[in-house]
Amino acid sequence: MSGFFYNKLKDLCISLGKHNDALYAVLAIAMFKGVMRPTFTMMDKKTDHQSKKYAAFREGLTEAIAFGSYLLTHRLIQFAVVPLARAYNKVNKNQEKSISLKKLQNGLSLLSVCLTAGIIIPVVCNLTLKPIMDGVAGFNNKKGKKNNTKLDIKENESPLTQMQMYSPKLSENSKRLLNTVRVTSMQNYGMKVGG
Amino acid sequence: MITSFVNAITSNTFQTIAQNTDACVKIETGLKAVGRPAFTLMDKNTDKDTRKYAAVKEFLYQLLCFGIYIAVIPPIFKNGGFKLAQKIFKNEGMPAFKNAKQMLAYHHLAYMKPEERLLPKNKKFLDLIDDKLTNPKDNNTKLIEYLVGNKEKNTTGLHKGTMEKQGKMFDLAKGSIELSSIIGSVVGLTILAPEISHLILHPIMNTLDFKEEETHQTSSNGSENGVNGQKILDKKA
Repeated sequence: MSGFFYNKLKDLCISLGKHNDALYAVLAIAMFKGVMRPTFTMMDKKTDHQSKKYAAFREGLTEAIAFGSYLLTHRLIQFAVVPLARAYNKVNKNQEKSISLKKLQNGLSLLSVCLTAGIIIPVVCNLTLKPIMDGVAGFNNKKGKKNNTKLDIKENESPLTQMQMYSPKLSENSKRLLNTVRVTSMQNYGMKVGG
Repeated sequence: MITSFVNAITSNTFQTIAQNTDACVKIETGLKAVGRPAFTLMDKNTDKDTRKYAAVKEFLYQLLCFGIYIAVIPPIFKNGGFKLAQKIFKNEGMPAFKNAKQMLAYHHLAYMKPEERLLPKNKKFLDLIDDKLTNPKDNNTKLIEYLVGNKEKNTTGLHKGTMEKQGKMFDLAKGSIELSSIIGSVVGLTILAPEISHLILHPIMNTLDFKEEETHQTSSNGSENGVNGQKILDKKA
């Protein structure tokens, strides 16, 4: 291994050995997921291009929300370190040693990661993903309509509408087709974040 | 209340967990397995069936992530990465730790007060530090002497602060374990978990959902089914 990389790797390991924040691992996971999952989705040849684009955008957006939430809560919770230490020292005046700020910082950092993973990210995703994705879907539909005028208008019509037009009572095959459409849309719902 | 809260988060156990990538990712995945399905079920913008489907899928996915994490990270990345680091940094005078577990046991004990290291609850960690483990940078002094002292030399165990100052915490060894754990977490959760979930979760979820749908179809006629189907599609579009 060349000297430059050897020294960089050594410095990184020493730094992580001295202080390893709970935040580092979760940020690395969110960042790589934000890149890898949309890439994998776009590489899937079985799904149509529009669905892939929608799913990839949503996956990337979810991870961006996760990344931002981790950073923000970590930053905010660090403001609580000094006031918390002061309050603790005020209550425990008789103690010989005051509380270690570094230990408090480490502890609060882990708490912020837990709070963000368990509560903040799901709440933010629930509140923001749908409106943003609806906006993106609307943009895609407009694009789709423009294309439709040039091509066959019936091509982009939902299979359901066509079926309702031609057969008031659905055949077994149509029911199966409807079922498949429903399951696909169910699979596309949710936060789609793991790890 | 504030005293017990601060004492809890500054305790040695909590500090060891906070400094350990492996433990942090396990906790995070466990919380996601509970939090995400719970919030998915609470989302009132979507119909009940879809919420139930997404919540079950999310729960199973997080469970799978947890399983992959336990199965892959400690044996392959944590130990493998540590062994690789020992080879790369062989000229840095690292003690010859047998594996990552032994190094982490030493680190965990070093964080404690010297008298605390001798408590029965910490015996399992102390037993891992055998006499062969020495510090090449300190005339091959046994590491156990740093932790509990030496009766013959009439010395006591060193405090954490002293060990840090004298470079006896072996930050390079500890950091290499953390770095390989972070790399392992990224590989396990961003590449392995989605691929394995495609193979395992989707067939399970499809089977569950088709069964549910079949019972729904037998209870209503064709046209009603079509209308219901349209409503579901509209909400999720």
